Amino acid sequence: MVFASRRDFLLQSAAAAAVGTVGAQTGLSAQAGPNAPAMAIAQWKGPKAPTAQEIDRIAEQLTIKAIEAIGGISRFVRRGDVVWVKPNIAWIQPPEMAANTNPAVVATIVRLCFEAGAKQVKVGDNPVDVVDQAYERSGIPAAVRPLGAQVVIMDRSRFRRVDIKGERLKSIPIYPEVLDADLVINVPIAKHHSLATITVAMKNFMGVVEERRTFHQAIGETLTDLTRFLQPKISVVDAVRVLVARGPRGGRLEDVRMPLAIAAGTDIVALDAWAAEILGRKPEEISSVVCGHKAGLGTMDYRSLKPVEIAVA
Amino acid sequence: MKWFRWSSARTRRCVQLSFLVLFLAAFLATRPLPGQDPPGWAKLFFWFDPLLLVTTFVAAHALAGFALLALVTVGITLLLGRVFCGWACPLGTIHDIAGRLIHGKKSPAAANRYSPWQKAKYYVLVGMLAAGLFGAHWITIFDPLVLLFRTLTVTVFPAVQWAVEEASAAIYHADPGIGPVRVTSLTEPAYRAFRDNLRVVEKQAFLATGGIAAFFITIVALNAYRRRWWCRYVCPLGAFLGILAWRPLLRRKVASDSCTQCELCGMNCHGAATSDKAQLWRPSECLGCLNCTDACRRGSLGFRWIWPWERQENVARVDLSRRGMLASAVGGITLLGLCRATPQGRARVYNPELIRPPGARPEPDFLARCTACGLCMKVCPTGGLQPSWFEAGLEGLWTPRLVPKIGYCSYDCNRCGLVCPTEAIRPMPLEEKRQVRLGLAVFDTTRCIPYAYGRDCMVCEEHCPIPEKAIYFLEAEVTTRDGEVRRIKQPKVDPSKCIGCGVCENVCVFRDKSAIRVTSANESRHPANEAVPAWEEPYGY
Repeated sequence: MVFASRRDFLLQSAAAAAVGTVGAQTGLSAQAGPNAPAMAIAQWKGPKAPTAQEIDRIAEQLTIKAIEAIGGISRFVRRGDVVWVKPNIAWIQPPEMAANTNPAVVATIVRLCFEAGAKQVKVGDNPVDVVDQAYERSGIPAAVRPLGAQVVIMDRSRFRRVDIKGERLKSIPIYPEVLDADLVINVPIAKHHSLATITVAMKNFMGVVEERRTFHQAIGETLTDLTRFLQPKISVVDAVRVLVARGPRGGRLEDVRMPLAIAAGTDIVALDAWAAEILGRKPEEISSVVCGHKAGLGTMDYRSLKPVEIAVA
Repeated sequence: MKWFRWSSARTRRCVQLSFLVLFLAAFLATRPLPGQDPPGWAKLFFWFDPLLLVTTFVAAHALAGFALLALVTVGITLLLGRVFCGWACPLGTIHDIAGRLIHGKKSPAAANRYSPWQKAKYYVLVGMLAAGLFGAHWITIFDPLVLLFRTLTVTVFPAVQWAVEEASAAIYHADPGIGPVRVTSLTEPAYRAFRDNLRVVEKQAFLATGGIAAFFITIVALNAYRRRWWCRYVCPLGAFLGILAWRPLLRRKVASDSCTQCELCGMNCHGAATSDKAQLWRPSECLGCLNCTDACRRGSLGFRWIWPWERQENVARVDLSRRGMLASAVGGITLLGLCRATPQGRARVYNPELIRPPGARPEPDFLARCTACGLCMKVCPTGGLQPSWFEAGLEGLWTPRLVPKIGYCSYDCNRCGLVCPTEAIRPMPLEEKRQVRLGLAVFDTTRCIPYAYGRDCMVCEEHCPIPEKAIYFLEAEVTTRDGEVRRIKQPKVDPSKCIGCGVCENVCVFRDKSAIRVTSANESRHPANEAVPAWEEPYGY
C-alpha cells in the first residue's frame, strides 16, 4: 500500500490551500474556531475507473481533505491522547468486497492522530466472523501496525457491563478500553444491510459491545441508546467503495459501487443520512437515522449543516 | 562408584523427553492461523505410525501419503525391537513418568515378571484387524499417538485454557495493585501471549470430554497396578510392533557363567519381558529401555547383534494359540456386527445431529478411515467440530461432528480436510469445499421471531456467507395483538443455495435452542439423505 510521506502531505496541503479548495485552513495549522464546519464531504473528481492502487491513494487524499475541512484532526486529538479508531472489521472479506472499512482510510486517520500528538492509537473491532481471520483479510492490521498503532483484539471476557440507561438498552457489555480512550474516531464503511437497510456510523458502534443479537428487533431505538451513551465526537464515513446489495457481508463484486467519497463530521445522524443517499436510499427510510434525529443526537437534514464539499482530483 | 554415572537409561530418558516435547510442540503448533494452511508436519507423528497405515489399508484399501514414513518405524522395529515404545512413544513416556512417581525406580520382581495376560493385546489386535477386513477402523481410536493427541486437544488444553482465561479475566476486572503498580501489567501480557500463540478459540470447550478424560486417567492410573500397564496389556500399536519384533537383530544376551540370577534386571524391566528368574527373555515384550543392563552389577547382561537364523537359548516368542486367534477374529467380527446392525448402521435412518466435517466421505467409508485423533477439532477456527459420543453409533465413538450451536463451519476455512492424516475428510481447495453441503437449515417457525412474534429479526440472514444468500426474506402482513396490521420480513431458506454451514444456527438470538437449525438432510456425501433436492427451478416444465 502506498501512503504519502509527511513531506508530500505538507506540500499537498499547502497546494490545496493555495488553490482554495479547503478554504484558509491547512491540515497542520487547523485551529477549530467556533464556526468550524460540522461536516465535510470529499469527492473524487479525477479520472474514473481507477486501479486498486490508485484507489488507496484516492482514499488517503479524500480522508485528509475531509478531515481538514472540519478543522483538522487537531480539533479533536490533543497531545498525549489515547485514541481509539473504530473501523468496521466485521467479516472475512478483502477490501474490494466493501464489507470492511478501507484500510487506506484507517491508516490515514492513524497517521493524522500521531501527527497531532496522540500518545497511543488503538485500532479494533468486535468482528462477527472469526476474529484473526477477519482482521487479516481486511488488510487493516497490516496497514496500521507499521505506523505504530496497536491492533486490539476484543476478548469477550474483558467486556464490562455498563449501565447505559437507554430507552431500550438498560445495560450492555462494552469493551472497557473504548470507554477509557480520550477520543473514539468512528470510521464506518457505508453498506447495504438487509434489515437496518443500511449500516453506517451509528451501526458501527455495535462493534464495541456484546449481547448484540437482539438489537435487530428494534434496531433504530437500540442504536440511538448506544450512540447517546457513547457521545461520538467525530465520525469519518468511508464511501470509497460501498456495498449496495446483499449486505452487510457481501461477497460479490457486482454488488460493489465506487462513489469514491469520504464524509467527515461531528453529527453522526447527518453522516448516516448522507450515506443513505449515497446508497440510493432516503434518510427517512432508515430507522436509526429517524430515531437518532428524534432523540436529538443530530439532524437527518444534513444539508442544513451546510457541509463543505471538496472536489479532489 | 562415581558420584555421577551417565547410564544408558539416562540417554534413553533424554530421547524420550525430546520426543515428548516434540509431540507437544507439534500439538501446540497445530492451530488455525489466518491466511495460512496448517503446517504439513502437524501430522508428523501420525505419518510414522504403522498401525494407522495397516488399518487404513485393511479397512479402506487405501494408502495415504504417509505410508513410506511408517515403514521407517517398521524397519527400526525389525532391527532393534520395540524401541519405538521404549524410546519414542510420547504416551509411553507419560506412563514411565507416572510409574516413576508412583513406584520410584524399582518395583518388586513379581510385579515385573511376564504375565500371560500380556497376550491380550495381540488377541485384541487380531480381532480388530479381522473386523478391519470388513471396514472397521475402530482399533485406531486406541492407537497411543491418536489417543494422546485427542486427549490433549479435547481435555487437557481446554482445561489449561480455562484456567488461564478465567484467572486473567478475574485479575483484569478486579485490577489489584498498589498505586501505579498493577498486577495486570504482568498478567495481561502473559494472557495475550497465550492468546496469540497457543489458543484457538476463546472459551473453547468440547462435548464428550468426560469419557475421554476418564479413559486417559484410568490408563495412567493403572500404572499403580503395573508399570506401563497400557503398553504391556492393551496397546494395539505395541502389539503390532511386538509381532514385528518377533526376532530382532539386537537381542539380549546373558553371560550365564557370571549371572547369579539376582533378578535385579527383572525388577527394573519396563515391559515385563522376562520370566524364570529373568532368564527367559521375550523380545516382543522388551521395550529396549536398557534398565536391565544398567541394573546388572556384574556386567553379565548386554545387547548384541545376532543374525535372525541364529538360534538362541532362553528367548521366547509370542505364543498365540490358533484357537485364541480364531476366537479373537470371530469376536472382532461379531462386535462389528453388533455395531453395524442398527437402523443407522444399515442406512435406514440418518441421524439429524450427525453433521460431518466438510469433505467427509460417506459414513461407512468415513468410519473405515477416521481415527478420531482430533486434529480436525484442533484446527477448527470456530471450535464447532466436536467429538461424537454415540451419534454415529459405538463404532463412531469420539469421531468428529459439527455442532453448529457451538461453532459453525467457516466459509473461509478448509483446514480439517488438509490435516486429516487418513483423508477420512478429503483435502480440497477452498473453492471446492465451499460447494460441499453439510446439511440443510430449517426454520422452526414456532420460535423464529418474525414468524412467532411478528417482529423483525435478521441475524441469520445477515450472517449467511453464501454471496447470493441462502436465506432470503419475503414480506408478510401480520396482525398485532392490538389489531394493527404490520408488514414484516420473514426469512426463508433456499435449498439450492444452503450448504448447511450452520452459522445461522450459531448466531440465532435463541441461545438455548435456535429457531433455525441445521440437520444432516441434503448432505452431499449421502444422496439417499437428500430431502429437498438442490434444483434451481423445481416447478418448471
